[in-house]
Amino acid sequence: MANDLEIRGVSKRYGDPPGGLLAISDISLNVQKGEFVSIIGPSGCGKSTLFGIIGGLVPDYDGEVRVGGQRHVGTHKDIGIVFQEESTLPWRTVLTNVALPLEIQGVSRAEREERARHYIELVGLAGFENSRPVELSGGMRQRTAIARTLAFQPKVLLMDEPFGALDEQTRLLLGDRVLAIHKELKQTTLLITHNITEAVQLSDRVVVMSYRPGRVLRILDIDLPRPRSSDSVTDERFGRYVAAIWGDLRAEASRGMKEAEALRGTGRRAG
Amino acid sequence: MATAGLTAFAPSQSGGVTVTMIRMLTLAGLLAAYQAISSSGLVFTGAMPSLWAIGSALLRQLADAGFYAHLGITAYEAGAGILIGGSVGLLCGIALGVSRLLAAVLDPWVRALAPAPKIVFLPILMVVFGIDAGPKIAMAAISAFFPVAVATFGGMRGVSPILIRVVRSFDASLLQLVRLVYLPSIVVPVLGSLRLATGVALIGALLAEVKMSNRGLGYLIIQDYNAFRTAEMYALLISVFTLALAVNAALRAFGRRYGAV
Ligand SMILES: Nc1ncnc2c1ncn2[C@@H]1O[C@H](COP(=O)(O)OP(=O)(O)OP(=O)(O)O)[C@@H](O)[C@H]1O
Ligand SMILES: [Mg+2]
Repeated sequence: MANDLEIRGVSKRYGDPPGGLLAISDISLNVQKGEFVSIIGPSGCGKSTLFGIIGGLVPDYDGEVRVGGQRHVGTHKDIGIVFQEESTLPWRTVLTNVALPLEIQGVSRAEREERARHYIELVGLAGFENSRPVELSGGMRQRTAIARTLAFQPKVLLMDEPFGALDEQTRLLLGDRVLAIHKELKQTTLLITHNITEAVQLSDRVVVMSYRPGRVLRILDIDLPRPRSSDSVTDERFGRYVAAIWGDLRAEASRGMKEAEALRGTGRRAG
Repeated sequence: MATAGLTAFAPSQSGGVTVTMIRMLTLAGLLAAYQAISSSGLVFTGAMPSLWAIGSALLRQLADAGFYAHLGITAYEAGAGILIGGSVGLLCGIALGVSRLLAAVLDPWVRALAPAPKIVFLPILMVVFGIDAGPKIAMAAISAFFPVAVATFGGMRGVSPILIRVVRSFDASLLQLVRLVYLPSIVVPVLGSLRLATGVALIGALLAEVKMSNRGLGYLIIQDYNAFRTAEMYALLISVFTLALAVNAALRAFGRRYGAV
């Protein structure tokens, strides 16, 4: 099958070479059409930076990113990002937030609202079309953001910790919803998560990244039957995948913690 | 009331009435003090005419059609000035907010000129625009330009970076970015600055009228001053204050619809 996304030897340094910070180093990854890949790694290892590079929002990086075989400069309609941060426009309603990418594309009001309603329903927000973000819970705002990026209909969907601020139960249920949406839309999807269970539950493959500078530590094929749901957690192979990823991550996370402590010790501040 | 704790710091119904009452009493006290000094004979009555003299001058003024013609002229000059200076200020503020290079180049100039008294431009403006409405509108425009430009630029800088990233990620053009993120984010500070701009534009127009004119409220004021008609002059000042307050209140009400306080 064709690769929808090819990342070849991508590195990014913030600041100028002698000093500066090497955020990610030599990352390579191919993602097939329709594949669901999770990226997991310690905080600060450059996951969001990688998404920014793929989405054309981060300039000046080394290496190459191809989408559908094409190299792009800048933002592109084939890549849609759900951001880690709160990103709904507070002065817009759920409906006009979700319709935003279509408005940018010049779709007529009637059509964009109809299409927006479809995605609002898909993320389970029907009935809240006319609510403003302040009137919603954090999870509902995050779902609004997901619906908005889905309405953009990108070839490649990048989701940066969309459930980061949610409780475990809501997370699992939303995970089920994401799986259902992925099954319906068959969109090539990359998901950043800190949650090992979530990564295994949702993905065809899991990419484990190292602490700074972020490199690919290991790519794990998740060979579990689909359709999956939050019930898959009880499969005994599931536990083995989780243990393998945790083994990789524990070493990296403690390295990160030690480095942070060392920085504090010398009186310098990290970040 | 269950919400009493939350509303304690907001002007509640009864609190609003109390505040209004105190304001009225303060005003009444000031007027009484003024009248007391005026009638005491300690101060030259030419400088402090009695309240009755001012009041009757005000009534005569309001009954005079000629007054409204002059009022219209001043309102036109200040209004045109706000419109021109405000829109140019808005555009400049947006341009400065969007372009880092432009901001770096122009920011020191704006900073240096913004607090300068604009009256120094008047002789130049009179040379350039003649003696009719031109220099008055220009004075008002220059005065209105700075507060709006500075507030717009500040507002543009305060726009949430994540919202910019989101809209950019949907492959928006720069123009769309301005329309969809920047403009809605700066409505409140810009409206606030327009209130300020109204005041200074009015001052600008009046100053220009005082300096050289045969029309407008500024001209009337200086006429009354030269003829030593102090009561009439005070009546005019009251009209000017009222005009400024009315515009200010209207802009404020408009800003509230966008969440300003
Ligand atoms: N615009 C920037 N300028 C300078 N340094 C940056 C910038 N953005 C990120 N960094 C640095 O790059 C590193 C990677 O940041 P990034 O946000 O990509 O990490 P992350 O893996 O997404 O972390 P988290 O899991 O906490 O979201 C961090 O050390 C961060 O301080
Ligand atoms: Mg991140």
